[in-house]
Amino acid sequence: MRSEYLWSIILFFPLLLIQTTILPIIAINGIVPDLVIILLVFYSMRLGQIYGTILGFLYGFLFDMITGSLLGSTMISLTIAGFIAGYFSNENKRDYYFNNYFFVLIVIMCSIINSVLNSFFSSADLNTNLIHFLINQGIFPALYTSVISLLVVVFYPKRNFES
Amino acid sequence: MFGLLLAIWKKFKEYIILLLLLIISLIILSANQKPAAKKASSSFYGFFANFSSIISDALDITKYKSENSSLRKTNAEMMLEINKLRQYGIENSELKDLLGIKDTLHYPILSANVISKSLSRSQGTFTLNVGKKDSVRPGMPVINEFGLVGIVYSTSANYSIVRTLENLDVSITVKDERSRVDGIMKWNGSNLVIINVPKTYDVEPGDRIITSDLSSIVAMPVPVGVVIGLNNIETGIFNEVKIKPFVNFVTTENVFVIKVVESKEEDNLELNFYNRK
Repeated sequence: MRSEYLWSIILFFPLLLIQTTILPIIAINGIVPDLVIILLVFYSMRLGQIYGTILGFLYGFLFDMITGSLLGSTMISLTIAGFIAGYFSNENKRDYYFNNYFFVLIVIMCSIINSVLNSFFSSADLNTNLIHFLINQGIFPALYTSVISLLVVVFYPKRNFES
Repeated sequence: MFGLLLAIWKKFKEYIILLLLLIISLIILSANQKPAAKKASSSFYGFFANFSSIISDALDITKYKSENSSLRKTNAEMMLEINKLRQYGIENSELKDLLGIKDTLHYPILSANVISKSLSRSQGTFTLNVGKKDSVRPGMPVINEFGLVGIVYSTSANYSIVRTLENLDVSITVKDERSRVDGIMKWNGSNLVIINVPKTYDVEPGDRIITSDLSSIVAMPVPVGVVIGLNNIETGIFNEVKIKPFVNFVTTENVFVIKVVESKEEDNLELNFYNRK
């Protein structure tokens, strides 16, 4: 269990590296899947709400520092996304969630929340049509991210992780 | 009292932790422009960029072959074009000598590679493999063969972060090449727009947009994009002009930093937004 905490932090770096170097190649209309949110949802659901919230905060801090984004904007959005993903942390249903499309739905929800909050806190133009803003900033990136998150469902071991 | 606090903590610890972390995030958000935050950020991405650079180089090698043949063709075309321009250049300098006009059109440029991209819908940034050691400074414009890519935001010893035009924090003074109308261009989250353009101004779809001489950051004419429409705002006297950028930010790999020798006097002007705290 303790090694899982460590892995949740170590894995962030190679995933961010892939996200910023390789994933732009498969961008659709400037939209790239968000690997960080998939990792965050995964560990928030596995390790609990408190850990998910703290992990979101840490990921956000590292993301802002490394990509040169507005420092604090991703921290806020990922902290809240980690908190919400943590709601679905249930030891008894864990394997069911990860072997099911339920995980993809949570990724979509957290991804929308993350994208919208991130845009909002990075001084988004509020004159823009709200529905247009939600679709462009939230739903499109979330759907693309959810497609990639299917890999977790497909490759998640079909046995009890704890045994 | 302690018992009560303990009971509250036990019952609401998730919310208390969330609240605390959000407060810390907001404090950090407000301290964004502080030099210490910028310095910490530059050491972080400077370190991380070393790894991005390795992957980026490996990816580039696979593309070089196909790029080489198309570049050879472009080179041949450019050679013919240069010959023509050289003739114009000679004529131009002779005419300028006759009129006594000083040549101000020479800008030193530095070639750079994009080693990583953060293609967020609100905060597009690139990491370049040039930094302070190559005398790159924040505020320098970054271009490619199509036009303006963005502005250098921060630099470490060997790397720099560029805020692309698709970044909510970048606003640039631009000009309609045909009608010479100036305006402020910014990214609104989904489109590049020139804001607050009076409805009476002459801006039409198809007009080329270039950077304006009035800009305190990119004071030379660099192509930016083309007008694709006007967001007719029913109320008020202003329009919003929608621009399609010439640069494709997703496929951009090689760029040039214009090492503008800024005038100290102009730098210190109150309106120079890059110096505004």
